[in-house]
Amino acid sequence: MAYRYRVLEDMALADTAFEATGDSPSELFLAAGQAIIETLADPHRVQPGCTRFFEHRDRDLAALLFTWLSDIVYLKDAEGLVFRETQARVSRDHDDWLFQGSLSGEPIDPARHELRADIKAVTKHLYEVREEAGQWIARVVLDI
Amino acid sequence: MKLQTAFTVNRVTDEIWEIPTSEKPGMLVPARIYATEPILNSMDSGVFEQVTNVACLPGIRRYALCMPDGHWGYGFPIGGVAAFDPQDGIISPGGVGYDINCGMRLIRTDLTLAEVQPRLEQLMTELFRKVPAGVGSRGFVKVTPQEFAEVMRKGARWCVERGYGWQEDLDRTEERGCIGEADPADVTDYAVQRGISQLGTLGSGNHYLEVQVASQDRLFDPQTAAAFGVTGHEQILVMVHCGSRGFGHQVASDFLKVFEKAMRRYDISVKDQQLACAPFCSPEGRQYFSAMNAAANTAFANRQVITHQIREAFQSVFGQSAESLGMHVIYDVAHNIAKVERYAEGDLVVHRKGSTRAFGPGRSEVPALYRHVGQPVICGGSMETGSYLLVGTADAMEHTFGSTMHGSGRTMSRAQAKRSVKGEQVQRDMKRRGIIVKAVSMSGLAEEAGLAYKNISEVVEAVDRAGITKKVAELRPIGNIKG
Repeated sequence: MAYRYRVLEDMALADTAFEATGDSPSELFLAAGQAIIETLADPHRVQPGCTRFFEHRDRDLAALLFTWLSDIVYLKDAEGLVFRETQARVSRDHDDWLFQGSLSGEPIDPARHELRADIKAVTKHLYEVREEAGQWIARVVLDI
Repeated sequence: MKLQTAFTVNRVTDEIWEIPTSEKPGMLVPARIYATEPILNSMDSGVFEQVTNVACLPGIRRYALCMPDGHWGYGFPIGGVAAFDPQDGIISPGGVGYDINCGMRLIRTDLTLAEVQPRLEQLMTELFRKVPAGVGSRGFVKVTPQEFAEVMRKGARWCVERGYGWQEDLDRTEERGCIGEADPADVTDYAVQRGISQLGTLGSGNHYLEVQVASQDRLFDPQTAAAFGVTGHEQILVMVHCGSRGFGHQVASDFLKVFEKAMRRYDISVKDQQLACAPFCSPEGRQYFSAMNAAANTAFANRQVITHQIREAFQSVFGQSAESLGMHVIYDVAHNIAKVERYAEGDLVVHRKGSTRAFGPGRSEVPALYRHVGQPVICGGSMETGSYLLVGTADAMEHTFGSTMHGSGRTMSRAQAKRSVKGEQVQRDMKRRGIIVKAVSMSGLAEEAGLAYKNISEVVEAVDRAGITKKVAELRPIGNIKG
């Protein structure tokens, strides 16, 4: 599927920023996750050798997305992985938003993978999640 | 070029510019920017907005400062310096940065360009093999969580105790590579897991290891250069730029969350979410200070392990011991840190984010062997244009809380740089000019091309003329390793 995100060039001179869009919160989480994955390495050169699963809940959808994106950055360092794809499902559970997702990838191999930029952190700078005319949109700045 | 702000910016001297407190509601002190007029005019609007935001933080003293390599950052501008009263002031991860104790280390050698040139390709290949770089890179030093806690406490000293360095390396490192008040209990297991495998790695982005040359014609102060061990006879030096890797990044992220909540408790409001802070003397403030020091110590350890690997690489290529090659550390200094330092007002919590400590002669914190001249200041330029060795001054102590610039600062976004040039082309062009580049990521190499950066010489000229550091030597690159 085509993930809908675009790089926001002028927002972060020394770093990188993107805007992700989805018809639903699930699609938004999928697109934003993919933006992180593709910032780290070319996913087409990564095999889905191992999968990690995640589940989070939060009353605030923006906070939930922030946690999910930070998970990806964490796993890159903690387990030395790069990723091919994500799965994401966001649903309502009473007053909470519930996120269930997964990451598939494999240990970093500089000889085989096209590595790109090492993300230090997902930042709160100009961070925003909003719904606009039926579209879910997130603006995210990454510290590189 | 016109000034990119609507704020009134008054000229104090040709290199000092001031935004008065009347320019933004809540400013407690004026903001001061160190820059020549052309540099000031080229600064992005974020610098003016952010330095005046910093001037609103509780307990700030004298001025919110920005150095000439300043540009937009998270919370504080890059190049930002601010000092806070430890009793009524704050501490903020936004004033330190995500890469806690990102810093510079410079190592001298007795080798000359003529001796190294024939084996430069071999040397760069060996350095590239021995010093892991790039996304999620992992180091050769394997430690248990208990040992990693020791690294947090002891910093570079832990490395030297295990044979990764010389005792004298510690004498030539800020804080002797080990800051006190670093309690591993104050960091999360999450942060430990993120960084435990990365000791001795460069990372990516603007981090690098560079082989450089010091020439007689680019020595500005031969006497001070000699005190630092720089002869300038086409002498080979090695510069390292990196920080605390994933561990430090996670400590910063963890405490931004803690401080968002703490601000409500302490009724602190800030102009930007990334300026989240807590009173320095609050439990949260002390806990961050301790965790930040733990991360700073791992950064000193990281650069120490890299130093060990650099010496091993030189030994293997030149068939001589590192000692006989004269591979002494000149200095190791942080440019992302908060420290308690004594000034005329008493103790202050000085935040430096993309700014280097630049203590002048006589200060007890300056290593004894340099105390008569002042502290070495290491400023990295782009990989194409070279770097500088400077020295701290008494003026810096008086005017900028003993602080100065740290690098050249970007002028072009990463995406724009990648559109302008390909990594392979940068590598070929640099090779033609005698600079061998080894890079893990070709897109990362394009992002770091010289065209994306300010001219470091203009930035250095500004701090030299302002008197807050003085030029010692310009160092030109002949080999570079990028993540």
